Amino acid sequence: MDLRFAEGAIVRDDFFLVEIDRFQGPLDLLLHLIRSQDIDVFDIPVARITDQFLKAIEELDAEDLDSAGEFLETAATLIRIKAQMLLPREGDEIDEDPRAELVRRLLEYEQIREISQRMRVAEADRARRFSKGFIPARPKLTYQETPLETNWTDVLSSALALEMPTPSQRAHRVTPRTISMQEKVALILDRLQDRSGIEFTSLIKDFGDTMHGVMTLLAGLELTRRRVLFLRQSRPFSELWLYRREEEEDLGLGLEGVEVDS
Amino acid sequence: MNIPQIVEAVLFASDAPLTPDEIARADRRLDEDQVEEALQILRAEYDDAQRAFHLTEIAGGYQLLTRPEYAPYLERFDNVPRPNRLSGPSLETLAIIAYRQPIGRIEIEYIRGVNSSGVIRTLQDRNLIDIVGRGEGLGRPLLYGTTQRFEEHFGFTSLDDLPRPDELPIILKDRIPLQEIEEEPPDTPDFPENVPDEESDDAISEPSFDSTV
Repeated sequence: MDLRFAEGAIVRDDFFLVEIDRFQGPLDLLLHLIRSQDIDVFDIPVARITDQFLKAIEELDAEDLDSAGEFLETAATLIRIKAQMLLPREGDEIDEDPRAELVRRLLEYEQIREISQRMRVAEADRARRFSKGFIPARPKLTYQETPLETNWTDVLSSALALEMPTPSQRAHRVTPRTISMQEKVALILDRLQDRSGIEFTSLIKDFGDTMHGVMTLLAGLELTRRRVLFLRQSRPFSELWLYRREEEEDLGLGLEGVEVDS
Repeated sequence: MNIPQIVEAVLFASDAPLTPDEIARADRRLDEDQVEEALQILRAEYDDAQRAFHLTEIAGGYQLLTRPEYAPYLERFDNVPRPNRLSGPSLETLAIIAYRQPIGRIEIEYIRGVNSSGVIRTLQDRNLIDIVGRGEGLGRPLLYGTTQRFEEHFGFTSLDDLPRPDELPIILKDRIPLQEIEEEPPDTPDFPENVPDEESDDAISEPSFDSTV
């Protein structure tokens, strides 16, 4: 923005090349046309400036209606002023220059732009001074606060990762539980003997049957209830981790201490 | 009671500017004058000892800020937030609001010549401006003013720190009151403390120095 005056346009007689995108609006463009040609703002050659303005907005993106509309509105104002100067209407006050309001707006805008450039300098100065706590403490993520939200992509990818066995027989049959939870409790505690945490998937990957997964989960929940373990999942459908509860170890809660009602 | 140390402790623990009045709340026996006195002592101490920080007057209060010459060292840390520089349109809009507050969207857009609703929303989200009232006229438009956060962002002590119109290279005469251009008079009876100076001949009225927060 600060460089605009230096390299905004190539001026050669009437040939005028303007990159419309670098302007923040029609007033910005108009000011540029005036200032870069050393035109007296109080005596704007409306015909010339209007032509240059219209030429500059030819490359406007017609799909951006809002911004195109703003430039076109100013173009219309310029054309109206031009007409008014050529053919003053009868009711017009003689001493009121039709350009007056436009000039006032241009100068006002220029002043605002000057102020905003000074504010940019103040902003940069301030940015070099740091207050205490310039390193904001990372908010502690409590698992209770993790929103239970998900989207269909996550659900689908998790579902696909499960490789659900297609049921081969549709008939409903009542079968006894072949896997006991006691067995799974033993498995979890065994795996956690030499490490503090383990992924749920590694506990079930050797079995493959959905029932093993269900029983392992139930065993994990049971051990959690008995404060032997705690479970962690950073977000929905991510890996579930089972951790040994260190502080409970000295209570002697080994396998024999856990009574499972299965 | 070691007043300078108490004041120092309060300033040290705070991450935002504090007014002498706020600092005085640290102890029932403290009053603002004692705090002001202590602040002067601390300021001199920090300057004499060439501390890496100094007592900065900002946004109507006091805050301990590091000296600018140490910025390069602090910026080397990844977790130092990159200062959020405002965009050109944001700065323009803020400048208009700072000088003309309370001001409505339509007036802002007339000055800028472009739609400004998105910029206004962004500035509001960043807590640099806030709604300070409603104007007269059709639909009672919302009026905006700058916040304390605005002064903090630019390191201004108060709105007095804004460049004054007569300091600027462009000086305007014959200001046409905006009331004649649109249906929205900038002065609102609802907020008499913020009525802009109607006598001003400058294109941009002097900032009204009341904090509108």
